[in-house]
Amino acid sequence: MTDIAHDDLDEAAGEHDSHGHHESTGVDNRKLGMWFFLSSEFLFFGTLITNYLIFKGRDFGPGSIYPVEFYDIPFTSISSFVLLMSSLTMVLAHAALARGDQNQTRTWLAATAMLGLVFVSGQFFEFTEFVLEGLKLSSNPAASAFYLLTGFHGIHVVVGVVLLLSLWGKSVRQPEGLSPEQGLNVELVGLYWHFVDIIWIVIFVVVYLIQ
Amino acid sequence: MTQAAQVHHPTTKDYIRIAVVLGVLTAFEIALFYVEGAVGEDMPGWVFPLALISLSAIKFVMVVAYFMHLRYEKPMLSRVFSIGAVLALSLFLIVLAISGRIAISG
Repeated sequence: MTDIAHDDLDEAAGEHDSHGHHESTGVDNRKLGMWFFLSSEFLFFGTLITNYLIFKGRDFGPGSIYPVEFYDIPFTSISSFVLLMSSLTMVLAHAALARGDQNQTRTWLAATAMLGLVFVSGQFFEFTEFVLEGLKLSSNPAASAFYLLTGFHGIHVVVGVVLLLSLWGKSVRQPEGLSPEQGLNVELVGLYWHFVDIIWIVIFVVVYLIQ
Repeated sequence: MTQAAQVHHPTTKDYIRIAVVLGVLTAFEIALFYVEGAVGEDMPGWVFPLALISLSAIKFVMVVAYFMHLRYEKPMLSRVFSIGAVLALSLFLIVLAISGRIAISG
């Protein structure tokens, strides 16, 4: 039933698209655009991760402090788990909408946004701790690269939370819930959210666990 | 019903199973970190990084395939997504090789 409902959602969006949006490739242009955007984001984060690895472990002279000295692995592990589970709640929101269950869609969208906020709060706490202990953005290139990489990821999470809350707000304001057109928006925001999650999967291992 | 409509999408239970597997793999990664701290000096230097990267690669593929539904999408989207991933990985390897962070034999 769910599989058919998924495709009904796509087809319903597609019917609308035939009037307002082109899909000469057989894929809605907005969806194709999102995949192109996410593909380009690989290069963005690939550059930042490479930049971090170049400076990680380099000696910047006596008295220098390095991000690796401050990592709190248990804390970051919990944050990682929270973000990973937010991908589950996101996909459950999309599945609920495909079933036409507007209440569950609202619940899972709100849960995803809340988990995203928990992750960002954790990152804010981590940055605050690091700065208080003396690791500043300008301390050395390794510190700059660390803050740049994890900070830009955090900004992506914040953007995702804003998009999720926007969808949730629309869902609450409209008595009939989200339309098929807005259902495609849920899918697009979901793609973005999962991408932010897979980037963290890489950052968690490359930056925090491989020392 | 279109051909696409006959493709089996995961159910809610499937998604929860996938999330459990992802959680277990994350627990393995964290356990490996602590095992490396305990016995890392007795092992070749590449063992733990390789194991950690392998686990994260599995998690990466699972999220992309099932949560992002790329497994059920048109192959064109896989190609679009792969282009960025391959370019980023190439950039990563070339820059690290040039900067001397990874060794090129020969």
